[in-house]
Amino acid sequence: MGHASTHAADLGTQNIQLPAMALGFRKIALAVAVVGLGGGAAVGYTGAFGTDPGHFWRAYLIAFLFGLTMCLGGLFFVFVQHLTRAGWSVAVRRPAEALAANLRWIWILFVPFAVLWMMGKANTLWVWADMNALRAENPVEAGLIDPKTAFLNPTFFWIRAVAYFAIWAVLSSFFFRSSVSQDESGDIKISERMQKFAAPTAILFGLSVTFAAFDWIMSLSPAWFSTMFGVYFFCGCATAGFATMILITVRLTQLGALKGIVSREHFQDMGKLMWAFGIVFWAYIGFSQYMLIWYANVPEETGWFLARQVGGWGFFSFALLFGHFVFPFLGLISKWMKRAPLTLALGAVWMLCFHYVDLYWLIMPEIPHDIGEMKNYGELATKYADTATHFTNPVNFMLVLGVVGAVVAGTIGTLSRVALVPKKDPRFAESLRFENM
Amino acid sequence: MATTVTNISDTKTEQPMPQGAKLYGLIAEFETPGDLMAAAEKCRDAGYKYWDCHTPFPVHGLDGAMGLKRTWLPWFVFGAGATGTTVAFLLQAFTNSWDLHIWAGVWVTGYPFLISGKPAMSLPAFIPVMFELTILFSALACVKLMFLFNGLPQLYHPLFKSNRFRRASNDRFFIAIEARDPKFLPKATEQFLRTLDPVAVEAVED
Repeated sequence: MGHASTHAADLGTQNIQLPAMALGFRKIALAVAVVGLGGGAAVGYTGAFGTDPGHFWRAYLIAFLFGLTMCLGGLFFVFVQHLTRAGWSVAVRRPAEALAANLRWIWILFVPFAVLWMMGKANTLWVWADMNALRAENPVEAGLIDPKTAFLNPTFFWIRAVAYFAIWAVLSSFFFRSSVSQDESGDIKISERMQKFAAPTAILFGLSVTFAAFDWIMSLSPAWFSTMFGVYFFCGCATAGFATMILITVRLTQLGALKGIVSREHFQDMGKLMWAFGIVFWAYIGFSQYMLIWYANVPEETGWFLARQVGGWGFFSFALLFGHFVFPFLGLISKWMKRAPLTLALGAVWMLCFHYVDLYWLIMPEIPHDIGEMKNYGELATKYADTATHFTNPVNFMLVLGVVGAVVAGTIGTLSRVALVPKKDPRFAESLRFENM
Repeated sequence: MATTVTNISDTKTEQPMPQGAKLYGLIAEFETPGDLMAAAEKCRDAGYKYWDCHTPFPVHGLDGAMGLKRTWLPWFVFGAGATGTTVAFLLQAFTNSWDLHIWAGVWVTGYPFLISGKPAMSLPAFIPVMFELTILFSALACVKLMFLFNGLPQLYHPLFKSNRFRRASNDRFFIAIEARDPKFLPKATEQFLRTLDPVAVEAVED
């Protein structure tokens, strides 16, 4: 303790280059991506494990968003460090930059939804995509959604989707390229430029993430609305992003890289961020959203939560409350749990698992169509007591492992081409000296 | 003030103390945090117990250099937080109660109001208050216990007598070893402090 400043960090190639073992892991990740996505698509599409198209497409949406939130969390970390001119984080910024850099190609994983749209079956997921079919099938819901079609229509949906992907690609690319070019020149102006653009980035990031959550998740139940939904989804991004960053950094140090650069002080701070945003803030926002809807008791709003209370979903909701908040809150509250790489990494894996549960809980349940005809909650609960969550269906896991494999392979590929730390960042020395009180 | 020479000087007679004064301890002055840190490590290794460092600003890593033990404060704060949660729940449960509840243990009739048709015992409505009281109790416990553990507020301290020590709040770094330390011997300790390469060593009276 206290002597980080007395010896200079080892910036030799061995220490700040991706260890060879990681490249082998990249091949495994690519194989998982191909097998997971290909197999998941084949099995899910043919319904071999008993999944209907609705389940399959929702499962793929969950898997896609799981990968996307990991990368968006990385981008959030990067621009916040520049926005606050943080010194401590320089030593662990490059993995986050590489993670965010996946946003340059992540749109490819969204292309299947375009195919779904072209096949004319978009209403498998988003019922508002075919208003005529909805009017014939469920005129009450159609009546509620009709006024929203100025926003929820296929043309505007795709214009927005393209805009989100463009924004994320440009932003992540800007921070990644700037940071890498500083490795050569060490030009302080590059840091200043990144700080200058961090503020507009925050605005663009906030808006794009919020509206993407509205478009892709909230509009699955288009009659429902919650103004907090974007923030809730952002918490998911933070959970996934920080957990992934922690795992990358822990793994790199295990493989012998970043010696004398990344210390327990950095682990503790990354742990704090995951604890604060991914666990506490998530619960805060999740509860605020629930309580307002519960208190107001407006039928258009409560249906969404009722769908998550009936049948197997009731247990699922509690599992989420305890697994995403109570247990990790107590488990990671101590500074020592965040400082030890092993316990921190276990916490990160745990949080990633429950981030998946969270997305599953957001996307998979469907509001019963006859909910408006029920006389009371008991009647609804009895009628839908057998609702299954289908959480353990292998298709779910094949698809999500496929997407994660692609993101991991992309991240390792990016990291293999650059130094593992922004070695000429003007605040690099400050980051090496960093200590928590 | 003490008017007799104390036990310490009686038994450890290498350095006669002036009559009418009791030795509080010895202070060593350093110019930089680095010097202080190195000296603190040696003090720690020499096995002194009643000693402290005085710096104009927080010095990172000094805890380790001094060999300070982990504080118990977080456990008390956690306990206070859990108490806050419980108190808030009980407060709301009692005030909303219609009638005798077995868990209440006493006959209570609170001030139950029918609010938007919710049951009197509505946990979601209680949670904001439980959350706030958790924070209030933890924050108050944290600040108050921090003061208590540090012996604050303390309006007088023997070190205030030393003119040299005034610079501890400006630009100098001090180590003070108290005379009550079992390993303290006025002359030996003074020699030990001199080996730490300080700017000056000074005896401070109690």
